[in-house]
Parts: sequence; structure tokens; C-alpha cells
Amino acid sequence: MENRPLEYDYTVAKMFMLTTIVLGIVGMSIGVFIAFELAYPGLNTIFGKTIAEYTAFGRLRPLHTDSVAFGFTVSGIFATWFYVGQRVLKVSMAESKFLMFIGKLQFWLYVAGVAAAVVSLFMGYTSSKEYAEFEWPIDIAIVVVWVLWGVSIFGLIGIRREKSLYISIWYYIATFLGVAMLYLFNNMEVPTMLATSPIGETGIGSWMHSVSMYAGTNDALVQWWYGHNAVAFVFTVPIIAMIYYFLPKESGQAIYSYKLSLLSFWGLMFVYLWAGGHHLLYSTVPDWVQTMGSIFSIVLILPSWGSAINMLLTMKGEWQQVAASPLIKFMVLASTFYMFSTLEGPIQAIKSVNAIAHFTNWIPGHVHDGTLGWVGFMIIASLFHMAPRVFKRELYSKGLMAAQFWIQTLGIVLYFTSMWISGITQGMMWRAHDEFGNLAYSFMDTVNVLHPYYALRGLGGIFYLTGFLMFAYNIYKTMSARPVEESELQNASPMGA
Amino acid sequence: MFHWLEKHPFLFSVGVFLTIAFAGLVEIVPNFAQAARPTIGTKPYTLLQLAGRDVYIKNSCNSCHSQLIRPFKAETDRYGHYSLSGEYAYDRPFLWGSERTGPDLHRIGNYRTTQWHENHMMDPAKIVQGSIMPAYPWLFKNKADINTAYAEQLTDAEFFAVPYNKPVPLKDGKTTIIPMAKSIATAHAMALKEAQAVVKDMHNQNVKDAVAKGDIPEIVALIAYLNSLK
Amino acid sequence: MNKLYLWGIIITAAMLGATYKTITYLGKSGLNGDIINKLAVAGAALLVIITVFVVVKYVRQMQTDTATGELADESWDNIGEYKNPVPFGWAVIFLGTIVWGLWYWTIGYPVNAFSQIGQYNEEVKADNAEFSKKYANIKGEQLVNMGESVYLVDCVACHGLNADGNNEKDAADLNQRISVKSVKYAIEHGLTGKLLGTEATMPDRSGLMNANNNYAPITNKEIDEVANYVAGGFKDKNSAGAKVFAGTCVMCHGANGQGIAGMAPQINGWNSKLIVNVLDYGKVGAIGKMPIMDTLNPKQKEAIAAYVMSLSKGE
Ligand code: HEC
Ligand code: HEC
Ligand code: HEC
Ligand code: HEM
Ligand code: HEM
Ligand SMILES: [Ca+2]
Ligand SMILES: [Ca+2]
Ligand SMILES: [Cu+2]
Repeated sequence: MENRPLEYDYTVAKMFMLTTIVLGIVGMSIGVFIAFELAYPGLNTIFGKTIAEYTAFGRLRPLHTDSVAFGFTVSGIFATWFYVGQRVLKVSMAESKFLMFIGKLQFWLYVAGVAAAVVSLFMGYTSSKEYAEFEWPIDIAIVVVWVLWGVSIFGLIGIRREKSLYISIWYYIATFLGVAMLYLFNNMEVPTMLATSPIGETGIGSWMHSVSMYAGTNDALVQWWYGHNAVAFVFTVPIIAMIYYFLPKESGQAIYSYKLSLLSFWGLMFVYLWAGGHHLLYSTVPDWVQTMGSIFSIVLILPSWGSAINMLLTMKGEWQQVAASPLIKFMVLASTFYMFSTLEGPIQAIKSVNAIAHFTNWIPGHVHDGTLGWVGFMIIASLFHMAPRVFKRELYSKGLMAAQFWIQTLGIVLYFTSMWISGITQGMMWRAHDEFGNLAYSFMDTVNVLHPYYALRGLGGIFYLTGFLMFAYNIYKTMSARPVEESELQNASPMGA
Repeated sequence: MFHWLEKHPFLFSVGVFLTIAFAGLVEIVPNFAQAARPTIGTKPYTLLQLAGRDVYIKNSCNSCHSQLIRPFKAETDRYGHYSLSGEYAYDRPFLWGSERTGPDLHRIGNYRTTQWHENHMMDPAKIVQGSIMPAYPWLFKNKADINTAYAEQLTDAEFFAVPYNKPVPLKDGKTTIIPMAKSIATAHAMALKEAQAVVKDMHNQNVKDAVAKGDIPEIVALIAYLNSLK
Repeated sequence: MNKLYLWGIIITAAMLGATYKTITYLGKSGLNGDIINKLAVAGAALLVIITVFVVVKYVRQMQTDTATGELADESWDNIGEYKNPVPFGWAVIFLGTIVWGLWYWTIGYPVNAFSQIGQYNEEVKADNAEFSKKYANIKGEQLVNMGESVYLVDCVACHGLNADGNNEKDAADLNQRISVKSVKYAIEHGLTGKLLGTEATMPDRSGLMNANNNYAPITNKEIDEVANYVAGGFKDKNSAGAKVFAGTCVMCHGANGQGIAGMAPQINGWNSKLIVNVLDYGKVGAIGKMPIMDTLNPKQKEAIAAYVMSLSKGE
């Protein structure tokens, strides 16, 4: 045993790779559909008037956000954890029957939870809070899945051979703790089934209904403390875990600076949580909470950029790799989009800028710089790196991968430029007064000008989705090919022609 | 020290947790007592209004509509007085929204009417040329879930001391009482009475017939809720 | 020049150009001298410029530099780490933002130094001062234009672009004073709105006696006749409707429906006071309910009245 290299067991990683891809397709298809619903209203009746209720924008929007966040992204986090975790801790899942069982249990419960969530959102069971729409029975399932993941993480750490924790592990641990804390507090709710009427009737009304523990402004505070940090601990922290492993691994380069990693990590942990107030600017929360949100958002630029810069510097002198490998291109561009959105966010967090940006399309624009360019690209890159290694086959097609890269990049550019422009337009039109001091535009004037931008965004979405389907096909062909790989390559992914 | 911490996963995790939990406390806790107090004139929702609010949530109207008027002249000109914290005292959950694909609705009850909503919800583009809001014909058929709304009212009263059946101060110095039923049966009777008042101003014959029969279509509850937003 | 910088400049210029184009092609908005608009656009510009050029800087390093430094002893799954120091610029800016944050928090704008409501009050005060000075004596054509501008924002939702209230299905047709169905409604049900701004009410049909007809309550036929006469603009003085009007309505509405102060409103045409009262108190009638429009200021209401009156001119 001691002399042979470790045989890592990727069973659970493979399972979650599957859900990453499937839920990615589902979530992005819905995204494209709702994007076009705003450009061409009435689209919700194309599947027939009888089911229009289930395909209207409002019903589908939470399905989009939740299936990309809790489906695609969280699956991606799990898939990469069950790959990266073993390798940097130097311990195989195969060494512990218990951990293997917990991992599989986590997967199947997760799948059951996803199914329940999808059905319930279609039915209109939602608590309305963004990214926390699920009603309480599903919340409970989520908590269980999360606890199981915690057992996996700390179980594996417990039996590790590598004493010191690699940077990626820091970020996975932070993801686990952060989401656990946030999710629990924001979903405190009382099921209405618990109520008793004055004459003693119980169990009244629907099971799938609850009342938030907090009211009004307080509810908003908790929600955006959560919402902002859900961005932190779902769309940022675990994705950094991925890039810290997959970029150096794929390129064979050493991390540029340990000190920079360290400062960025602790800086990010400390600063992120204070910035949630920037979702509540000019609302009814106290002025000081808002000011705090703005200040910390500006400070947050640096710990965010720290990781991105560390990654770009890791590629110092390696331009030929960037030029030759679409896989590395994905990761370099992901860092770039990460920098873009973590500068854009703080700028939007300045009160005067937020006065324009809030409530407009500039926000979804910012969101998708981050989610498409950073989250999406990193998860795709991670899976591309993993596929040849977990399936022990060469990647089906590098040409397809390169084409995918350019198509998706074009998609992102269309998405964010259209939303950027339409958002600023909207914001300015709402504020505009005419020469008489009256509002210059009716609300409909501000809706009418958006049509071309909505259409353009939809087109961008089609590009991105097309790229994602190419990705799915590429992985499928890889998976189903004849195994060839004898011993694993150390660095760059083996590629077909 | 950090190198050492990186070799001790438990302490490392404790460190991370303390770092992230601290900020949360500072951000959230101080505001709790003060923001929860209702402004004078803010009343708990009636049964039918609550049922309508649930319809609003079920269809995620909040994904396009905000309910938060910011203190800018451009917004108060368009929507009326800026929003006050205490006005949301009975909002569980809050419905501020984060997108304004459609206009703000926090005071929609002031400048739109039952009849207008009835026409608009049936086919927005017919009333407002170029509207991109979807049509909601199913609200005219689906029945509002009065049982669940009643359970919600009971929960509000039992767990959160929402003052049902108690005097609530009004702006003019008087008080009013928002009633809560004793049983499911009386709750239905109460909701129906509210519904009849709304339907008086409506034209859709199917809806009128349904209410005459004792049913309450979702649209009636939704309009009761929208009219309460002032 | 390096190709990369060229690309950077092209991308930046394209983004900024598109943004500029957007904010200027809308006649009535643009930057508008609004500081908020300026800051937002400046922010957008900064965002593109900084990101593009910082990234270009690092990409240059990928092209020309080489990786150096002392490797740490550890390696994880063969990933090494250099012991390089943190980049100087990054560290300085990080420290800078922290110092700035502390300053802002404690000295610049300590906890209660800023109030958004205070800011709002000032904004409104300044705006009103400018507005009331500039338009104190606005009249005629200009007043009508001002009214139209309000109408297009606040009233089209119900009264429509042609101001005909979607053929009186959704709201009153403002191109005419009143329609047959509204007159009939007033007579049959009476009216308790505040068209005069007072509590004066119009009796319903049981309280309307026809003097030409021995003070018997008004009949359906008479209602038809008088409604056509009133809605038709008091044209045919010999019609049956004119007789009914003379017998039943004149004492309140005056001989030609011009209204009598304190008694009943003008019904042969609009007047400014009447329209302002509708905006102030709303109205319930044959068509439905007209809401109270209390976001408008008195000048705007006066302007709207002028606009509405201009619609039926020459009819
Ligand atoms: C796809 C986005 C979208 C959804 C979902 C949506 N709306 Fe709208 N809504 C709009 C737009 C755009 C307008 C402005 C045009 C118009 O008046 O139709 C609007 C206007 C309105 C208005 C009129 C507001 C005013 O000031 O004129 C009301 C009331 C309204 N919506 C209620 C609702 C309700 C209730 C729901 C859910 C059942 C809903 N909307 C769902 C987009 C939406
Ligand atoms: C006792 C006095 C009185 C008599 C008699 C009377 N009216 Fe009126 N009328 C009023 C008052 C007061 C109002 C305004 C009601 C309000 O403010 O809602 C009014 C309103 C109206 C309106 C509504 C105007 C609008 O803008 O909608 C019409 C039309 C009208 N009267 C027609 C008639 C006709 C026709 C008759 C005779 C058959 C008549 N009235 C007899 C007092 C009277
Ligand atoms: C929610 C819909 C709605 C809005 C918004 C609205 N109106 Fe109306 N308005 C109505 C209806 C309905 C009537 C008809 C009432 C009746 O049945 O007589 C009406 C009637 C009127 C009348 C006629 C009153 C009379 O005596 O005949 C005037 C004048 C008027 N509106 C002006 C305006 C102006 C000006 C605005 C905007 C500042 C406006 N309305 C906004 C619905 C609306
Ligand atoms: C320094 C880092 C960041 C800061 C300071 C920041 C700031 C902001 C601000 C100010 C808003 C707008 C709030 C509003 O007015 O409605 C926002 C929204 C949002 N951002 Fe960021 N952002 C950052 C990074 C990111 C990243 C990297 C992502 C994703 C990958 C992201 C995802 C989102 C999402 C999803 C929203 C929408 C929230 C909603 O539903 O309203 N942000 N952010
Ligand atoms: C095919 C690609 C996609 C398209 C076309 C698309 C489209 C959309 C649309 C139309 C909205 C609603 C915006 C609005 O209400 O105005 C939205 C919201 C959102 N999407 Fe996507 N999306 C895509 C992919 C993704 C991915 C991959 C993610 C995450 C990994 C994501 C995360 C989100 C989030 C967080 C929101 C909420 C934003 C907010 O509330 O401000 N999307 N998307
Ligand atoms: Ca929940
Ligand atoms: Ca949002
Ligand atoms: Cu945020």
C-alpha cells in the first residue's frame, strides 16, 4: 500500500457531476425562456393556455435562480469537493466505508430534495424570499443534506495523511460553515399548521405554508444579510476553492504567493459579512446600516481581487499555455470576470450609484457577469479537468471545447452589455423630470425602450446555453468512450484532437 | 500562527466561524427592537387581504414589482409618500422585491381601483398598451385558500402578538378593530362578506356568480390585498 | 503599441460609447445636470477602465515575465506554493481602503451624521423653490403643455392616449363634458362625490320632480330625453329634454347647465375648479371609480385642468 500511489474513489464525484450538468441545462434553459418572456410577453401561453399558470414569468423565475444556484452550482461544489478533497488531503474515500455511505446518502437525499423543490416551486409554494424560496419541509431536507456534507468534510479531514490544509480546503470549510449559519437564520419560520383556532380546531390549511419569524424591515435585514452572503458562500468562496486547485493543477504552475492567499482568505471572511446593507440602500433600515454596507463593499474589492490577482500571477510567463489550452482560457477569463463583478458590485454599492442601479436591469447584468463568467466558467473548467481523470478516458474533443469557449464568451458579452445599457437607461428615465418639473416618462415609456435589450439578452442566453449543451455532449462522449488512460497525467488534461 | 492553524482543522473552523458570525450580530441585532413598531394607522391584514397576499406570493409578483418607495423626488412624485419602516410591521415575509420590471406597488391602493385591476389582471396589454406583464386569467378560476390564510392569521396572533380583535390606533385618533374568526366556519363567512364588498365593483359575471355561490376566486382576494396597499 | 493595450482601449471605448449613446439619445433625460446620473455614469466608466487595464497589466506579465521565487516545502497533490510577498500596490490600496473606511466611519460621517430623509427634504425644497418660481405665472399654451406632460404620466393608464377612457369602458371620455350614460347614472342614483368641493349632493330620481309635470317623480322617458339633451351639449332648446331640464334641473344647474355656485356643478362644459375637485376628491359614477390623485401639486392640477379643457375646445 505505502509504495503504490493512492487509488482515489470518485464514485460520489461522478454522481454530482451528473447533476451539475443536468441541473445546469434545466436552469439555463429556464433562464433563456424567462429572458424571452420579457422581450415577447405572451410567450408563457405557447405551451397551451391551460398550463400558462405554470410557465408565467413569476413562477419560473425562482425555478431559474434556485436551479442554477442550488442545483448547478451546489452540485458543482459537491462534485469538486469529492474530487479535490481526497487529493489534497491524500486520503481515498475507499478507505472509509462510512464516508462512502454518507456520501451516497447525501447524493440521494439531495436528488430527492431537488425533485421536491422543483415540484413545489411549480405549484407556487414559495416563501418569496430570494434564494430562500423553499417552504419549511424542503428547508429541513436541505439542512440534512448539508449536515451530511459536513460529516464528509470533517470525516475526510479526520483521516487525512496531509497534515496541513491546502487553500482550497479553507474555502470549502468556510462554504460549509457560512451557508449553514446563513440558511438556518434566514429560514426561521413557523409552519401555519401549528396554529389552533379559538374553538380548538388544529391542522388548518396547507402543509406547505409558513410565517416568517421576522417582520418587515427586520425580515429584510435578515434576508439580505443572507442574500448577500449566499453570493459570498455559494457563488464566490467555493468557486475560489475550485480555482486554487484546478488552475495550478492544470497548468503545472505553483501558486504565486502563499501570503497573498492568506490575506485574501481572512480578509474576505472578515469583510464580506458586513456588506449586506448594500442591498437595502435608501430603504427603511437605519442610515448607519446602509453606510456600513457601502463602506465595507469598497473595502471588499481588495480581498476579492487578491485571489484573482494571485491566480493571474500564477500564470506569469505561461502565455503559451493560455493561448494553446481552452481549458486554461476558461479559468483565466473566469478570474477576469470575477474581478469585473467584484469591482462592479462595490461601485453599485455607492449610495449615489445605487440610487440609479437598484431595481434596474443593471443588477441582473452584474449578477450574470459573476454567475456566467465566473461561476459558470469555473465549474465547466473544473469538470473538464476532472472528466478524463475520473472516467479514465481522454477528453472527446478539444476543438469542441474551444468553440464552446468562444460561443459562451460572446453570450456573456451580449448579456452584460445589454443589461448594463438598459439598466442605466431605465434608472435615468425613472428619475428624469421635464422642463416643467414633472416626471418626464410614464412607467410604460421606460418599459418600451427596453425591448431590444431584452431580446439581445435572450440571444446572449441562447449562446451561453448552446455552449453548455456542447459541454454536456463533450463530457458524455468522453464518459462513454473506451477507457485508455493507464496512469494519470500529472498536469494538463489529456486531449483528443 | 496561521501555519499552525492550518494544521488544526477544528480550531481553524472555529476561527472562521467567529470571524463570520461577529459581523452578522453587529449588522442585525441592534435594529430589531426599533424597526418592529407599527406606525399609527398601520393595520393588520384582514383575512381576505391575507389570502390575497398569499396569491401575490404564489405568483411571485414580487419578482417584478417592488413595494418600497425610496426617498427621492422622482419616486414620491410617481408613487406617493416614501415608505416608512413601521408600515411593514405586519409584513411576514416582507415584499420589497429587488427588481422593478413593473412599477412599485406599495401605495397602489391609492391610485388604482378594483375595476381597473380586474381588467388589467385579465389582460394587461389591453389596458396598458405595450405592457409586458403576463395575463393572469387563472386567478379568475382558482379558488383562494381561505383555510391557509386563516391559519396564517392565527399564527400571527398566537406567535407574534399581532393585534387581531384588539383596538388599533388610527391617524385621526380613533381606533379600529380587525376581527379574527373563532372557527373555520366563521372565518369563511367573514371572508365571504369581504369578498362581496369587492365584487360589487367588479364586472366579470363568472366571478360574481362564484361569490354568490359562496366561493372566492383568487382575483377577489388579490384585489382586496392590492386595495389595502396605501 | 502592444496589441493587448489596443484591444483594451477598443473594448473600453466601445462600452463607454454605447453607454454615452444610451444616455443621450433620449431627448428628455440624458445627464440632466443630475449629480446622481453623473456619478452613476462615472462609476460605470471607471469600472470598465480599471478592470480592462489591470487585467491587461497581468496578461502582459503572462506574456513577458517568468515565474520566480522560493518554493515552500509543502506541496499538495503536487501543487506548490511560492513564498512571494504580496504585491505592493495591492497591499497599499488594501490598507488605504481600510484607513479610509475607518475615517469615514468615525470622523467623516459618524453614525448619525447623515439622514436620507433630511437629504430628501432638501431635494424637494430646492426643487419646489425652482419650480414654483419658474412657473408661478405660467398661462395659456404653456400651461396646457404642462398639463399634457402630467396627463401622459399619471392619467393614461385609465383614460388612455386618446383620452377617451377606452370608449368609456375604463374611465370617462375627457374629450366631451359628459356622456348619456353618466347623466342617466347621476339622475338614477344621485351623486355624493365632491364635485363642488363641498358636501352638496345630487338627489337620486326619487328626489327629482318635474315642475312641467305637476311635480311627479321623473320618468324613464324623461330621463332619456334630458340625458340626450345634456350630453348633446344643450343644443335643441325646443326638445323634450330641454323642457325636462327647465322643469327639474335649472334650479340647481342653471338655465344652460352653467352651474350655480354652492348649488351644483357646471354640466355644459368644464371649468378648472371642477376638474381640480375631481382630482382632489375622486369620483364614483356610471363608469366606475376615479381615484384621488394626491401626488400632484396644485400647479400641476391647474395645468391638468387646462389640458382637459383644451381637449373639448371647438366641439
Ligand atoms: C413579467 C413581469 C411582471 C409580473 C410577473 C407581474 N407584473 Fe405587474 N406589471 C408589470 C409591468 C411591466 C407593468 C407596467 C405595465 C402595466 O401597467 O401593465 C405592471 C403593472 C402592474 C400594475 C399596475 C401598476 C401601476 O402603477 O399602474 C399592477 C397593480 C400589477 N402590475 C400587479 C401585478 C400582480 C398582482 C402580479 C402577480 C399576480 C404582477 N403584477 C405580476 C410586470 C409584471
Ligand atoms: C338639488 C340640486 C340638484 C338638482 C335638482 C339636480 N342636480 Fe345635478 N347635481 C347636483 C350636485 C350637487 C351635483 C354634484 C354631485 C357631486 O359632487 O357628486 C350634481 C351633479 C350632476 C351631474 C354630474 C356631473 C359629472 O361631472 O358627472 C349631472 C350630469 C347632473 N348633475 C345632471 C342633472 C340633471 C340632468 C338634473 C335634472 C334632471 C339635475 N342634475 C338636477 C345638484 C342637483
Ligand atoms: C384608476 C383609473 C383612473 C386614473 C388613474 C385616473 N382616472 Fe380619471 N376617471 C376614472 C374613471 C373610472 C372616471 C369616471 C368616473 C365616473 O364614472 O364618472 C374618471 C373620471 C374623470 C373625470 C371626469 C369627471 C366628471 O365629472 O365627469 C376627469 C376630469 C378625470 N377623470 C381626470 C383624470 C385625470 C386628470 C387623471 C390623472 C391625473 C385621472 N383622471 C386619472 C378613472 C381614472
Ligand atoms: C466585492 C464583491 C461584490 C459586491 C460589493 C457586490 C455588490 C452588489 C450590489 C451593490 C448589488 C445590488 C443590490 C441592489 O441594489 O439590488 C449586488 C447584487 C447582486 N450581486 Fe453582487 N457584489 C459583489 C460580487 C458579486 C459576485 C462575485 C456575484 C456572483 C457571482 C454577485 C452576485 C450578485 C447577485 C446574485 C445580486 C442580486 C441580488 C438580488 O437578488 O437583488 N455579486 N451585488
Ligand atoms: C443561459 C444563461 C442564462 C440566462 C439567459 C439567464 C437569464 C436570467 C433572467 C432573465 C433572469 C431574471 C432577471 C430579471 O428578473 O429581470 C435571471 C436571474 C438570475 N439568474 Fe440567470 N440566466 C442564465 C444563467 C444563469 C446562471 C448560470 C446563473 C448562476 C450560476 C444565474 C443566476 C441568476 C440569478 C442569481 C438571478 C437573480 C438575479 C437578481 O435577482 O438580481 N443565471 N437570469
Ligand atoms: Ca424557507
Ligand atoms: Ca433580485
Ligand atoms: Cu451583495
